[in-house]
Amino acid sequence: MPEVAASADQVALRDQIDELSTRLILDGVAAISPADFDRLSQSADDFGNKAAAGAAHSIAESLASALPAPDRTRIASNGLMELRQLLDGPLPGRQTGNAAPSPPPPSGTGAAPFAQPREESLAADEALIREFIAESGEHLATIDSQLLLLEQDNSAKDTLNTIFRSFHTIKGLAGFLEFADIQALAHEVETLLDLARTAQLKVTPSIVDVVLESTDVVRQELTAIAQRLAGNEPPTTRFDNHLLERIRRAGRGDTPEPQSPPAVNAAAAQSPEAEPQIVERRAGDATSVRIDTVKLDQLMDMVGEMVIAQTLIRHNSALESTNDARLQRNLTQLARITSDVQRITTSMRMVPIGIQFNRTARVVRDLARRANKQIVFEATGETTELDKTIAEELSDPLLHMVRNSIDHGIESHEERVALGKDPIGHIRVSACHQSGQIVVAISDDGRGLDREKILAKARQKGLIDSHGSLSDGEIFQLIFEPGLSTAAAVSDISGRGVGMDVVRRHVQKLRGRIDIQSKAGEGTALSIKLPLTLALIEGLVVVVGQQRYIVPIFAVREMFRPTAEMLSTVQGKGEMAMVRGALMPIVRLHRRFAIEPHKVNLTEGTLIVAESEGVPFCLFVDGLIGKQEVVIKGLGQQFKSVAGVAGCAILGDGRVGLILDIDGIHQGRT
Amino acid sequence: MQTTTSLQAAQPVIPLDIGKRAGKYLIFHLGVEEFGTEVLKVREIMGLQDITSIPQVPPYVKGVINLRGKVIPVVDLRLKFGMEPEPYTARTCIVVMRTRQAEEDLMIGMIVDGVVEVLNLTASDIEDTPDFGPGVVTPYLTGMAKIKGKVKILLDIDQVLSGTDLQGLSALLQ
Repeated sequence: MPEVAASADQVALRDQIDELSTRLILDGVAAISPADFDRLSQSADDFGNKAAAGAAHSIAESLASALPAPDRTRIASNGLMELRQLLDGPLPGRQTGNAAPSPPPPSGTGAAPFAQPREESLAADEALIREFIAESGEHLATIDSQLLLLEQDNSAKDTLNTIFRSFHTIKGLAGFLEFADIQALAHEVETLLDLARTAQLKVTPSIVDVVLESTDVVRQELTAIAQRLAGNEPPTTRFDNHLLERIRRAGRGDTPEPQSPPAVNAAAAQSPEAEPQIVERRAGDATSVRIDTVKLDQLMDMVGEMVIAQTLIRHNSALESTNDARLQRNLTQLARITSDVQRITTSMRMVPIGIQFNRTARVVRDLARRANKQIVFEATGETTELDKTIAEELSDPLLHMVRNSIDHGIESHEERVALGKDPIGHIRVSACHQSGQIVVAISDDGRGLDREKILAKARQKGLIDSHGSLSDGEIFQLIFEPGLSTAAAVSDISGRGVGMDVVRRHVQKLRGRIDIQSKAGEGTALSIKLPLTLALIEGLVVVVGQQRYIVPIFAVREMFRPTAEMLSTVQGKGEMAMVRGALMPIVRLHRRFAIEPHKVNLTEGTLIVAESEGVPFCLFVDGLIGKQEVVIKGLGQQFKSVAGVAGCAILGDGRVGLILDIDGIHQGRT
Repeated sequence: MQTTTSLQAAQPVIPLDIGKRAGKYLIFHLGVEEFGTEVLKVREIMGLQDITSIPQVPPYVKGVINLRGKVIPVVDLRLKFGMEPEPYTARTCIVVMRTRQAEEDLMIGMIVDGVVEVLNLTASDIEDTPDFGPGVVTPYLTGMAKIKGKVKILLDIDQVLSGTDLQGLSALLQ
């Protein structure tokens, strides 16, 4: 297989050239010695590439002579460019021919030879590959966000450097682990970015586009690798052959002479940001450690127990009667430390929401371009921290909401001008902490929700009666109903009516609440209130007989002791309560769970108005104990089919309390 | 006593390696019967504490308790074996076992009338479970030990605490 050998050699040679280029750019010409080129010449010779060997040798000779630094830089960079072309073949467009296969081979021809080493390395370096996937993912996220910054300020050198370095790292890692496709792609992008860095190429939106597309492809590849690691053979997704070509074309796009010498000047070489790759990576490793979530959960368990133990000691009657000031002081100290430990443990699962916002920014950009609307995306509160699971679950709702804003909310350019509005639309997202919850808000300055249109659609779908008046709030809630879309036509962005119900479902799954505000002609604002963490839940502790239960506070509307006048019976068995003019069914928790209650008479106990999927009902319990924040625990496999119970938590006295699943209780109420 | 004699008439369904059965056993009792379980699987023995009951589970599953931050299920062994329920006494305790269920290590507490002792049983102390005749399946009995004239029924705790039916033993013990 001579072709394969040539390709592999080409890759090796190319790597050497790349390495030299990087050093030249980052560290300046002083870091390059003639010996480097001699070595390159030697390798080229070994691989039978006489032309490259000769060229490298002559560069080495030119460099050896004493010349001023700028001249040496020019020689080195010109030389590297020349060598690269020798390897690539004069015209990148000719890769379809067999004369000069572009190294590394385009996926079409290169798939087979590269499949083999990849399979082997997958098995051998599993840990390394996982690391690679994780690390590349982080770099891709950085690249995405930086690219959007770059688009706003296309001369930002720091930004370009960051993107360049990230791609470079991905390329290096991919090369090391023999993921030739990723390596090839990252390499092309790097070359393109290099041109931009050295001011030979102006960063245009089309360049940003092509680089963004590349990050997507790399992401896909990473997913495929992850699937292969997991033992599943993913559908062989060969990435777009044309992408590499397009990247190259973009690189030539604004430069009349692709062969023109790269203007590596002293300024770029001495840029303070331009630190060597290795230093940066080491710094990153030192500040964070990957931890198995199982260990985190165990730590959470133990901390919870510690808090309980501490409380028990604190309220021990023997201690309460003591006058030993020192003991009291020590106990206070212990209490403080305990709560600190608890806080830190909880915060260990927290991540800043900014990552999700960056992703959303990316979506807004793409969709706005496709919808041909000018939209500015503004994010605030990116540093707000929330549970990692919630942050991840939030990305879908965010996506659907901005899609809606772009497609339904923000008017077209002409329309906005006609209305006398700012021709550029705005989408704002923000996140902040508010009374122990996180509030994520998305607003646009579009046309707002159309009351009448929603009503008409809802009637047509039979979601509401044709008569009866609804408040604005109630009408707006209708947009979360499945199948309700007010877009006149189904666009490829939205209009199929699946978006907003997905949002609601996700938010409910996260035990959150979604509110909507809108003003015709001025825009729409959605705010999602979420718990800070899924590990903790704010609950109402209620008592029934000997048992205690926790009712999640987000499902509770109000609670009261009913009077006889409020109660009525339907057909002798269905009990109902009249609450503020609305008749609600009563579910007796003791009957539902078949336990012995202390209170059978409704007027002696407490009714809790709870909400299940928007439908209110009353839950009858003996009484309330109080409100408490508890750590949620699963009940384990053996109890997973228990209806009406979402999990359990350890209460302040160390006993276990079951957390009620309000939806489950409501469903099985008969 | 009648139950004990009928147990003696059985034969093991699963022949076990005799050598493997030797070792230390925790002996506990339910009424007059004495049972043994491998000490290695005992995680701890604790006094009775508040048990949170769980709806819609068989009566022998008493509920869950908090074992230092871990929530574990508790099974009343009397009820599980189909014996008459007795009021709990000061000697009643929860033996927390580490069992293997469906490829997963699981901690389960079992309520017993009282813990007797820890016995070191040699292979010669242990006899195979006698045959109870057709229709009686006793997969959770690993053997019988006769020590000082008393019979201890040795249990395969993983089987006892698995979700499988206990028809066999409950039928015997009634």
